[in-house]
Amino acid sequence: MLTLDALREYGADVDEGLMRCMNNEAFYLRLVKMAVADNDMEALGQALQAGDLGRAFECAHSLKGVAANLSLTPIYGPVSEMTELLRSRSEADYSGLYDKAAAALKDLTALCAE
Amino acid sequence: MEKRALKPEFRRTVLVVDDEAINREMLGALVEDTYDVIYAANGREALEIIEDHRETLSLVLLDLMMPEMNGYEVLDRMHSDPALRRIPVIVLTSEKQAEIKSLQLGASDFIPKPYDNPDVMLARINRSIELAEDASIIQNTSVEDLTGLYKKSFFFEYCRQFDLHNPGAAMDAITININRFRLVNEITGRAAADAVLAEIGRAILEELKGSAGLACHPVSDVFFIYREHLDDMHGLLERITEHVRRVSQSSWVHLRMGVYSNVDRDMVIDSRFDRASLACDAAKHRYGDPVVFYDDRMHEDQMLAGRLVEDFEEAVRQGQFIVYYQPKYNIQRSEPALSSAEALVRWKHPELGMVSPGVFIPLFEENGLIMKLDRFVWESAVSQMASWKREHGYSIPVSINISRIDLYDPDLEAELTGLVEKYGIDTADLYLEITESAYTDDSRQLVESVTRLRSCGFKIEMDDFGSGYSSLNMLTRLPIDVLKLDMKFVNNLSDDPKGIKMIELIMDIAKYLGLIAVAEGVETAEQVAILKKAGVDIVQGYYFSKPIPGGEFEELLTSRAAGAGGRS
Repeated sequence: MLTLDALREYGADVDEGLMRCMNNEAFYLRLVKMAVADNDMEALGQALQAGDLGRAFECAHSLKGVAANLSLTPIYGPVSEMTELLRSRSEADYSGLYDKAAAALKDLTALCAE
Repeated sequence: MEKRALKPEFRRTVLVVDDEAINREMLGALVEDTYDVIYAANGREALEIIEDHRETLSLVLLDLMMPEMNGYEVLDRMHSDPALRRIPVIVLTSEKQAEIKSLQLGASDFIPKPYDNPDVMLARINRSIELAEDASIIQNTSVEDLTGLYKKSFFFEYCRQFDLHNPGAAMDAITININRFRLVNEITGRAAADAVLAEIGRAILEELKGSAGLACHPVSDVFFIYREHLDDMHGLLERITEHVRRVSQSSWVHLRMGVYSNVDRDMVIDSRFDRASLACDAAKHRYGDPVVFYDDRMHEDQMLAGRLVEDFEEAVRQGQFIVYYQPKYNIQRSEPALSSAEALVRWKHPELGMVSPGVFIPLFEENGLIMKLDRFVWESAVSQMASWKREHGYSIPVSINISRIDLYDPDLEAELTGLVEKYGIDTADLYLEITESAYTDDSRQLVESVTRLRSCGFKIEMDDFGSGYSSLNMLTRLPIDVLKLDMKFVNNLSDDPKGIKMIELIMDIAKYLGLIAVAEGVETAEQVAILKKAGVDIVQGYYFSKPIPGGEFEELLTSRAAGAGGRS
């Protein structure tokens, strides 16, 4: 079962995220689980693979917004960096950042499944 | 947590727009204790909801980056629709650089994502709603529903604000009136008249688009416009008139306009519009051109009028009003013979000199002072008649002017008979001149009043005959003894054979009705000859004599040749 402690250990800024949820623990945890179930990360990967940087920007932007709201720092970091690069449609190598973000999401998914 | 910034009479509704379900839920949770919440996942959905709830929606929390339709487009659409513009929008985005554009597009606030503190967030939401509601209250109290224009007090205040923010701008104050609005109101009914007022308001607002200015509907058919200087005022008036006639299908609409151009910025706003309105009043009497520009002469006239009204009481007390007598001559004898006189008032002002009755009489007619002045003239004339009778044994008929407003005075009859008794003159020697247009005003009541006077023994003289609209049919039923032709008939005599024919026709009517005919404004021997030939009995005018003081008239009386004592 997902707990605040587990999220803290994971690296999320739990106090900040909780505050945005009016310190309603159950609500916060439910939203984190919703984030995990979201398929934006998958969509981002597909867009990057297809070289559709516009679409990739939209996906990264969405992910960034959700991660920021819930203070999911491990995901927010790489996604935010990617968003800024994609904003100017830079032909950079995104694989490193993407893998990092995807791995962070995978970790969170694992936490939720526990 | 602070929740009660707003009065809780009812729960307001907030729309949360975000393509991410998680963000929607978070925002919803934030506001749901205070507000009812509706959700939209993209701009298109949001706009549909906004349209459906345009009356009741209190605020929109708007994300910018969304599929289908983005937040900018929503802002843009809302801003261009007056009904939606009142709904405040807070933009919430992680795009920090979007702030300026959002505010330019009409967002009332901008909060970067992720927001830090829910309490701050809620407080800002509350504040935006409050501000918008206050603005809406001001809008509703300052703007009139019917025309969409400002109410008077707000208009003057906004004009002052406008001046403060636009120092040095050349501005015009404009007044627009509807010709004969009261009559039209009665004929077409209130609803049709209101529709016209509403369309004038709309046309004015349309005209103000793209130019600096504002407008007001202070009262009834009066409109004020305060705008940057414009040269083509006729064009402006024509466009407004054309719009109103077309849209409200009211071909009867005729507008007039008074313009105080390039206003004096040191003058208070109300006075600027007094000037425009003064010009607009002048347009009422100026046929052909519906636009009149205020000029300093108008101002001088107005100042003079104010002074004359102010000085009136003092003038009466100090005897500055003097009654003159213009002799009337019977021309149907072998030699013209002095027959009677008309009593005319003159004002010898200690500082202004002789003030023309053409200036002060219309003025006193307007404000009712004429009643007092008339009574002064009547008594002076009757007392003079008594003195001539007493000292020289002459009973000479004198005409006095009865103003329209006097005819509404229930004591008129008693006053006039009282005067005659007091001074011991013959009632039949007092002629009462009543202008033709008085009969057409409110004919029944006035005709009754005149009939009573005539039955007392006074002779009734219809003044200015032919200047108004009295019908010939009416003439047969009116209680009159003398028909006094309007001056313009005499003016037209010399160069116009039709003018002569017209006089002859009127004389036929006068003879048929047994009326004595008088012509005034007679200046030449030629006119006298024509009038004599046409059968006019009595003439008055500079050819014989201008109005003269009582003393001079007395000399004329005593020196008149054999055959004197002629009665008209």
